[in-house]
Amino acid sequence: MSDPSAAEPISIEGRVTDFSPRLSPMLVKELRQGMRTKLFSIAFILLHTFMIFCLLAALSNPGSNDSDGFFWFVIVSVLLFVQPLRGFNALSSEYQLNTMDLIQLTKLNGWRITLGKWTALNAQGMLFLSGVLPYLVIRYFLGNVNFVLDLVALGLIGLGSIFSTAITIGCSVFQNIILRGAIVVGMGIAFTVLFVVVTETILDRGGLGSDQWTAIGLLFIGCAYGCFFFLSFGASRIAPLSENHATRKRLVALLSASLCLGFLLIGADSSPVIITIALILGTACIDALTEPLPVFSRVLIPFSKNPLTRFLAFFLSPGWISGLGFFLICSLSYFGSLYFAGWIDTHDFLNKNEDVIAQLCGCNLFIFPLLIIHIFFPKHTSAHFTFAIYSGIQAGIGGITIMIAAIASAIGRWEDLIYSLIPMPSVLLVAYGETDIERPHYVILTVTTTLLCILVPLLRHRDSVKEFFLHLKPSI
Amino acid sequence: MSETLDTAEPKEGMTPESDQGNVQLAIEVNNLSRRFNGVHAVNGISFSIERGQVVGFVGANGAGKTTTMRILATLDYPSSGEARVGGINVIDYPADVRRLIGWMPDHYGTYRNMTVLEYLDFFARALGYKGQDRVDRIVEVMEFTDLTSLSDRLIDQLSKGMGQRLCLGRALLHDPEVLILDEPAAGLDPKARVELKHLIRILAKEGKTVFISSHILSELGEMCDSLLFINQGEIIHHGSAESLKQGSSVSTLIEVQLGEGPERLQEWADLAPHVSFLDSAKSGGRIEIDSTEDEIIATVLRRMITDGLSVTGFHREERKLEDAFIEILGEIENSGTPIVS
Repeated sequence: MSDPSAAEPISIEGRVTDFSPRLSPMLVKELRQGMRTKLFSIAFILLHTFMIFCLLAALSNPGSNDSDGFFWFVIVSVLLFVQPLRGFNALSSEYQLNTMDLIQLTKLNGWRITLGKWTALNAQGMLFLSGVLPYLVIRYFLGNVNFVLDLVALGLIGLGSIFSTAITIGCSVFQNIILRGAIVVGMGIAFTVLFVVVTETILDRGGLGSDQWTAIGLLFIGCAYGCFFFLSFGASRIAPLSENHATRKRLVALLSASLCLGFLLIGADSSPVIITIALILGTACIDALTEPLPVFSRVLIPFSKNPLTRFLAFFLSPGWISGLGFFLICSLSYFGSLYFAGWIDTHDFLNKNEDVIAQLCGCNLFIFPLLIIHIFFPKHTSAHFTFAIYSGIQAGIGGITIMIAAIASAIGRWEDLIYSLIPMPSVLLVAYGETDIERPHYVILTVTTTLLCILVPLLRHRDSVKEFFLHLKPSI
Repeated sequence: MSETLDTAEPKEGMTPESDQGNVQLAIEVNNLSRRFNGVHAVNGISFSIERGQVVGFVGANGAGKTTTMRILATLDYPSSGEARVGGINVIDYPADVRRLIGWMPDHYGTYRNMTVLEYLDFFARALGYKGQDRVDRIVEVMEFTDLTSLSDRLIDQLSKGMGQRLCLGRALLHDPEVLILDEPAAGLDPKARVELKHLIRILAKEGKTVFISSHILSELGEMCDSLLFINQGEIIHHGSAESLKQGSSVSTLIEVQLGEGPERLQEWADLAPHVSFLDSAKSGGRIEIDSTEDEIIATVLRRMITDGLSVTGFHREERKLEDAFIEILGEIENSGTPIVS
């Protein structure tokens, strides 16, 4: 018998080749680190302990559904809360540990860093998910369980876990924990509501009809785009200003919106399609409008090649200057979708399209904070600051609008209050339903506000605009 | 950021090779400025470092050292001016510059729940090393930095000195030509400091360019070919440690040890040409020779012995670098202009 203690230690070669060289370095690193964390081990053990407990409860009372609620509660807790929250510090911890600079000096760009972290967390999430499957099968044998619906539910929870992990990783770029927490909670609530609504649509109708397939299709596109958006958001915020992440982000948003529009061709209900398109284009616009200005001399090189690429630079190059162009393109695309969906009546536009005109005003909501930012904080340079202040201004405007509406309603003098705060798109939006503003005047006000929101920031940063044009000039 | 950027525009079809500056220079900085919210962290500095040199970067906290080094390491952008490493513009071709540099920050970054070997493996993978090349490179670096025996230790269990060696090892993984080391010896105990100095000396012998900042001037003086002094974002001196020690003085201070009392030395000094007695010590004293020429100093020593003084020790006093730095700062305060040699 050989003495086990005398076994030869594993060579360095053996220890560094445990993961394939084809795997992303960030994935390998995160897996090595992640599987050692106490949170992973504790969650893994607790999940299985509770699953066994649920099975024992089911065994003691076969055919009963008493333990169902707890069974799903445990799965949802681990996959939709614990697992995504592990990404809460993913990017900010790299700053805290002073390792972000070191990674950026390697061949890993911002996208590969966030993607690697997300994949590693999802790989660990899949371990949880696959660990639950045997219990699902045993539950089926114990009876009174719709196995297909259970599988669909588990799949949806898995999808939810993937998506919410992307949210936490993307938002983890903010080093301010309050801001990060607020954004994650906000996104979490919005996502939970959306998720519950869609899940109920799919599960409560017992089978999968065409409406359910549309819902699943839109949910899939929405989740896929959502994952991409949040990962790209994180990636572009940690990347050096000489990296271009904007073009890909903006093109994917337009492509995803086009895919959603495709559902109208197969006769799907237009409302969920339009809502999904609005969500996709809206998030893409907020991101584009809050992007920092890049190193133009570097990122505009590919755009200065020919007239077509120079034209595309006005919408697809990095930075908020082209973000304004992208906002206009998104607005056009959105109203094009409305037209395609038959929501716009081209005859007597002003009198027959009240909802569309209101939405036209609603578009201003996206760019109005930009006006405030560039009037009061023209010298700011931090991408984090821009997004934070943008979110703060939106929240502030929302609060002011509610207050104004309440006061105006109480004293019955809508016009006076509305006209004094007319540049605020949200006030204008409320006024639309409450006052007798003539429709042409309303459209003029909306367009004027839009132009103001676009022109003021550009004029405030005319040097940067000049630089933008300078670097777009044809090369000699 | 870009509102204030004023750098040369790369033309279409231009490559790092076609846009190269002086390739003989490892680092070239021209009129570099960096402003943060209107405050000049670096204010129009220019300097160059030849390949294979070890250059110390000296300045008080907030003088602009780290900002300059971060720009050279492609981790920050200048508000105006130009910086090149190996002839390549750091703004226009950051990826090419990163291949040439090894960066070691003042606060080395490490991970929790990760061993020394896994840390180096992660960076080797991230730098694009594959297969046996990766293993060989990791082994080589661990041997060089004497980390082989610590390969399985978790990083958060390493001492500061071991951590700095690990950080240096990481910076050396891709065998860079230029090493940019920001305060590598900060917080190290004397033993770890000596070890680090030893490693840097070996790297210098291998022909690597080392640009190193430190507060410990005496150590920089020992290992650097030249020193760059920066103050309030401006270069105030660039020269060798020797020239700094000699400074602008026209005399030489000599500490003399005698087998007899200091009175005898004073008597002799009063009569000897070029010599004046400064102060006495227990066994001897200090004299000042009104020249810095070696020949005259040697003549004085010879005469001291031929005149019958029982000299047991003869030591030329050098200005400390710290004194030189303070003196230069004083001169700037008086004249208001930097003294860049």
